[in-house]
Amino acid sequence: MNAKILICDDEQEILDITRLILEDEGFDVTSVLDSLSVEKLIEREKPDILLIDLWMPGISGDQIVRNLRRNVLLSDLPVVVISASRDGKEIALACGADDFLEKPYDINALIDTVSKHLVR
Amino acid sequence: MDDFLSQLPNIDHTDIRLFAAAVNASSNGVVITNNLLPDQPIIYCNQAFVKLTGYQRDEIIGHNCRFLQSDDRDQKARGLIRDAMDRGEHCQVEIRNYKKSGDMFWNELMISPVANHVGMVTHFIGIQNDITRRKTAENDLANEKQYLEERVVERTQDLQESEAYLASIIETIRESLVVLDENMKVLSVNEHFCKFFKLNESEIIGRELFSLGGNGQWDIPELKDLLLNILPHNNPFEGFDLENDFPKIGRKLLVLNARQVMLKGKYQDRILLAIEDITERREIEQRKEDFISIASHEMKTPLTSIKGNIQLLERKAQRNNDADYIVGFAKTSKSIARLERLIYDLLDVSKIQSGKIEFHYTKFDFDQLVAEAVSGVQVTTQTHKLSITGASQTEILADYGRLEQVLINLLNNAVKYSPLADEVKIHISKVADYVKVSITDAGLGIHLRDQKRIFERFYRAEKITEKFPGVGIGLYVSSQIVKEHKGTLWVESEEGKGSEFNFTIPVNNYK
Repeated sequence: MNAKILICDDEQEILDITRLILEDEGFDVTSVLDSLSVEKLIEREKPDILLIDLWMPGISGDQIVRNLRRNVLLSDLPVVVISASRDGKEIALACGADDFLEKPYDINALIDTVSKHLVR
Repeated sequence: MDDFLSQLPNIDHTDIRLFAAAVNASSNGVVITNNLLPDQPIIYCNQAFVKLTGYQRDEIIGHNCRFLQSDDRDQKARGLIRDAMDRGEHCQVEIRNYKKSGDMFWNELMISPVANHVGMVTHFIGIQNDITRRKTAENDLANEKQYLEERVVERTQDLQESEAYLASIIETIRESLVVLDENMKVLSVNEHFCKFFKLNESEIIGRELFSLGGNGQWDIPELKDLLLNILPHNNPFEGFDLENDFPKIGRKLLVLNARQVMLKGKYQDRILLAIEDITERREIEQRKEDFISIASHEMKTPLTSIKGNIQLLERKAQRNNDADYIVGFAKTSKSIARLERLIYDLLDVSKIQSGKIEFHYTKFDFDQLVAEAVSGVQVTTQTHKLSITGASQTEILADYGRLEQVLINLLNNAVKYSPLADEVKIHISKVADYVKVSITDAGLGIHLRDQKRIFERFYRAEKITEKFPGVGIGLYVSSQIVKEHKGTLWVESEEGKGSEFNFTIPVNNYK
């Protein structure tokens, strides 16, 4: 069975291209625009990895990651923050994410990063 | 003398002779005129009169006294003499008279009538005293006094003018100014102060600065600290930032300069306080930063989509071995990379300008950093071979990402500005307690005139502007990054032969 990836970003075009790239690699991708529904979706879809933006209306990416890390059932979920913010790396690591990719990302870097965290 | 005596009534000649001798010996000039003869001729003059006037006795006797007047006939004193003589009275005047030589002398003249037994004035006795020296001294004194008075008027006018001039300068300044005494009482303020803080002069002058306006709005701990604690040890003090909420004008961001007058004298210990309002400027700066930050963030979203799609298509083209597409996508990727760098550089310039660029220092192997940057740039060029020689074998404490940015910028420039060459040489070394990189190309080179200026923001060397696109911020950002690391970035170049960009970073970079 293919690994399941959940992507959350408030920009549809980011969701579209990320999904295209990852599906081309054979992953099973679910995407969501509304950050407020991410936590419910994780519980329902049980993804193997979460790719998430930082600055979003509703609830910010780092807040979601903090919530996940406090949740016993989801604290192990690999999370990669993908953000246009240059300070994103610090914010991502501080909130408990496993990795960080800066937009605009390189597709090889995206694929490598996702693969790296799925193996562990 | 004998003639004169012979004319006198027949009394005791011995006494008369004595009197006559005394008169003749007097140092004052003495003349006697006969009032009964026509035109009142002089009938006697003594030696002193002869000496005083320079006329001989025979030029004097028989003449009216007016010969002493020369042409100077309109003196007020003359009228006084005439009136007194008409009335047969005594008079004393100071009059300008003239010697035979024509020289003027001041004559203090006393005229006394002599009457006969029936009261008829028969003679006048004139006593002359040369007071020229006294008069000259008096005149000099008067002149000096007048001169001094004129100077005082002049100086006063000067002072008034310069005071008005200074006052107009102070009133024109678009900054608030306050003068305080050493007890923080306000002595004066300029108009701008009243306008800006919306206070009347009557609510200000004579009050303690910290009590101005009521409500404790000027009771600002930072201001007290500046004036009472900091200024006494750091006089003058410039650029003190102060943020305070003033009820009438709202929250203001102020920059203060304070200076206590040290000059001995009446103004000693007074405190001058200049207050500049930078609230609006800060807001504009903040808005500009926010704009650049938001704009570049917004640009990154479509760029992510473009880059992702192109790279995905490039991948598919490679899979299908579609040569035409591969070349096209490679070119597009290059453009995307340039656009990406441009966005980063713009963001960096904005951050450098506002001092908000952040550095994250970690320890890492410098040679490895160079190797990674070189291989990163190598994959983007098919025309140039990038080769590294030398090594530093040193770990440094620096911002990895930022130094990588400098290296990539310099390497890209080396490739870009040597279109006809096929090689870029990179040399790493350790020099004393610095690591050093030299990046050498065999390109266009840089004119001496441009060599210093290329590190300025938005500067571009003259000749490259048309052939090579760019905005001129890469080297500016790079030099700022190297500077932040306390290293130096410089260029050695000869036009037409190529350029060598070098930078050094201290090994022990502890901030």
